[in-house]
Amino acid sequence: MADQLYLENIDEFVTDQNKIVTYKWLSYTLGVHVNQAKQMLYDYVERKRKENSGAQLHVTYLVSGSLIQNGHSCHKVAVVREDKLEAVKSKLAVTASIHVYSIQKAMLKDSGPLFNTDYDILKSNLQNCSKFSAIQCAAAVPRAPAESSSSEKFEQSNLQVSSETPANHELTTNGHSPPTSKQILQQPKGIMGMFASKAVSKTQDVNKETKTETKEVTNVSSVGNKAPGKGNVMSNFFGKAAMNKLKVNLDSEQAVKEEKIVEQPPVSVTEPKLAVPTGLKKSSKKAEPVKMQQKEKKSNRGKRVELSDDETKETENLKKKRRRIKLPESDSSEDEVIADSPGDYEAESPSPPPPPSPPPEPVPKTEQEPPSVKSSSGEKRKRKRVLKSKTFVDEEGCIVTEKVYESESCTDSEEELKMKTSSIHRPSTMTVKKEPKEERKGPKKGTAALGKANRQVSITGFFQRK
Amino acid sequence: MFSEQAAQRAHTLLSPPSASNATFARVPVSTYNNSSQPFRLGERSFSRQYAHIYATRLLQMRPFLVSRAQQHWGDGVQIKKLCELQPGEKCCVVGTLFKAMPLQPSILREISEEHNLLPQPPRSKYIHPDDQLVLEDELQRIKLEGSIDASKLVTGTVLAVLGSVRDSGKFLVEDHCFAELAPQKPAPTLDTDRFVLLVSGLGLGGGGGESLLGTQLLVDVVTGQLGDEGEQCSAAHVSRVILAGNLLSHNTQSRDSINKAKYLTKKTQAASVEAVKMLDEILLQLSASVPVDVMPGEFDPTNYTLPQQPLHPCMFPLATAYSTLQLVTNPYQATIDGVRFLGTSGQNVSDIFRYSSMEDHLEILEWTLRIRHISPTAPDTLGCYPFYKNDPFIFLDCPHVYFCGNTPQFGSKIFRGPEDQRVLLVAVPDFSTTQTACLVNLRSLACQPISFSGFGAEDEDLGGLGLSP
Repeated sequence: MADQLYLENIDEFVTDQNKIVTYKWLSYTLGVHVNQAKQMLYDYVERKRKENSGAQLHVTYLVSGSLIQNGHSCHKVAVVREDKLEAVKSKLAVTASIHVYSIQKAMLKDSGPLFNTDYDILKSNLQNCSKFSAIQCAAAVPRAPAESSSSEKFEQSNLQVSSETPANHELTTNGHSPPTSKQILQQPKGIMGMFASKAVSKTQDVNKETKTETKEVTNVSSVGNKAPGKGNVMSNFFGKAAMNKLKVNLDSEQAVKEEKIVEQPPVSVTEPKLAVPTGLKKSSKKAEPVKMQQKEKKSNRGKRVELSDDETKETENLKKKRRRIKLPESDSSEDEVIADSPGDYEAESPSPPPPPSPPPEPVPKTEQEPPSVKSSSGEKRKRKRVLKSKTFVDEEGCIVTEKVYESESCTDSEEELKMKTSSIHRPSTMTVKKEPKEERKGPKKGTAALGKANRQVSITGFFQRK
Repeated sequence: MFSEQAAQRAHTLLSPPSASNATFARVPVSTYNNSSQPFRLGERSFSRQYAHIYATRLLQMRPFLVSRAQQHWGDGVQIKKLCELQPGEKCCVVGTLFKAMPLQPSILREISEEHNLLPQPPRSKYIHPDDQLVLEDELQRIKLEGSIDASKLVTGTVLAVLGSVRDSGKFLVEDHCFAELAPQKPAPTLDTDRFVLLVSGLGLGGGGGESLLGTQLLVDVVTGQLGDEGEQCSAAHVSRVILAGNLLSHNTQSRDSINKAKYLTKKTQAASVEAVKMLDEILLQLSASVPVDVMPGEFDPTNYTLPQQPLHPCMFPLATAYSTLQLVTNPYQATIDGVRFLGTSGQNVSDIFRYSSMEDHLEILEWTLRIRHISPTAPDTLGCYPFYKNDPFIFLDCPHVYFCGNTPQFGSKIFRGPEDQRVLLVAVPDFSTTQTACLVNLRSLACQPISFSGFGAEDEDLGGLGLSP
């Protein structure tokens, strides 16, 4: 029965879906050896023709063999239409192989669509492109992270996350993430890294999650294409506060460097993990659109982003305590584009047990938004921290009014007005000691950051911000 | 040959699916040694004059030429320096050739205001019947005339001339000789067929889609996806793939940003970015299955002057995960399974083509082997790094396989040297135009071209396959 299954599959592909079924496409789709795929195609053609001689099937064959040309024997490999098959075969002196190359319903004018079909299926299977091949090479093993070349050390020097607490040590490797981490991984790690730097304590779950992320070295599928997409996806999972940090972190001048791929991380592994936080919402968190991914992408400064993968931890910690968020000073990246996401990012920690006592109060205060993120077009729009009053009902039923900073797009001139944070009212019941500190830090940081026009003067500049 | 070996197994693919399908293991790398170290540049300083290259070139080549001259013209021949020449006395002089060509593009002439000249349009050949040969040694130079073919020779060749000085001050040449081949270590004997695939001129990003299918077919043959079991088995014997330059197309070099207004080009991406991504994917497929050496070429994103340094691994994030990918210099030399390979991406040969009357790229390749120098026209008309300690383009020993990439058509020849050296010369054709690559059999030191084709609407007469009678 299983044998008949493939016949039905091919039938469906060719007749119903009107696809061009090449042997390679079939091999990847059904997960079979390439030779078996070729045989399946042949079998299908034979049967179909036997039962219905008027079948609308066009077949292309691959012929290869040698030919005497210009005095030497030339090996030819050609894709030919069925009607030319015999002619080509007769011209070859020695025929090395003939097999079905593709089946399709319509007659093909040229071999362009064949290439496109193969290319598409290959793109989605780049990581295991030789899995179904007839030749396996023992020497072709992806490099392990440990064997990464010196280029990694070069990158790690710029890693922001190096200031992580010891609790992060296991994840520091992420921050100095395997040099093999590619850009796509670096973005999620950057998000993580931002949180990591701020995290005081991490939950085990968060650790695990980030660790998994570390292990997922690279997603071999086109990094460039996926990374921006991923970045947006990732940013959706985190709260705005987190996003701010994320943004700032990524803003900082770190080169995004492509490194060797270590393993083939199924991207899906990361995504389910990240999906977990989606469920959590922080009600009063103001999401800061995370632009860094885009910025990173577009920023062409050859800077690396060292990301630790503690972002989820970060979010959780944000939730639990108003720990100070160490916002790396955002650098002045004039070319960075701030893509305005709809601001619906929730800070999610992978498995945040809602802390019973910690203030459920949202932690917008801890947000130290990078005061200025300039759009790539060079206009003077910036995200500024704006002091606003927010009124909400907290956990215990008290109405709380707080003045908080939140990031807002505004023009340069307004920047200078928003430096002070002295007047933040806090609910008396809440004892978040860090808040005041954070508040103070906020303006200080904002001032400093703004003052320097978001330029990080030295590589250790952001460390002092703590 | 590849085809015959491939045809030995029975055809199995025109049949219903069989229970098991054979998988072949790629022949393991038995020995590989990359000896391109002389072509790696460390700290580079361009504050030197180029005269030092010529000085060291002459210094290094002089002993070879002296011994050759003595072989040719007897031990009694007098080897003199130009300053010691006596009129009418027959002697031999060793020196560097300079060819004064009126058509040679000269930047000084171009920008000279008194001449008011328009820039010279590029030509395919700059030779002219009025070209003059001049021999230079360490101290002096002298014009040459006589039985020496000025059209064939190029600037920078070191040779020995036999003749005498005329009263006119010119040297009348009776005979001349080159350094000929360097000593060669014998090639090892292999027990099984092993192949090395040479490809050049993939030309990605060129805009034309015709060669893309050919490239994909090439990758599929090498990685064992295409073909019947026999062919796959033979393909498993391909122990290495060498990509000899011009991986990107000439079109990716257009620099609109210079010609167009800034507001038009501000957000456009360089054409080479897409091309490099495509190249990365191709390299990934190849490196997952076979060791690959990638040499940069004329249109690739690396330095312009010879020796070109390897492409940077950051451009290939997917492919550099595999240790089978090697990014190497141009020129490149290595010992693969005991067989010495040496080759370039073709800039040296095409430059000599421009300044000499030789037409066949294979012939030029052979000629460079005979004068014992990979690229004599560097630094005169071909960009070169200002070496001063030694000239790395001199053949210190003779390779077994000597190739150059990006030639207009395939060519291969066995060349025999005076001391029984045996060299396989391969002119690797430009893949984007010819869809042809070269398979070198390491056991027999023979080369077979392998070409790929799809079908197009107009290929009614099999012309595209080259099969028409």
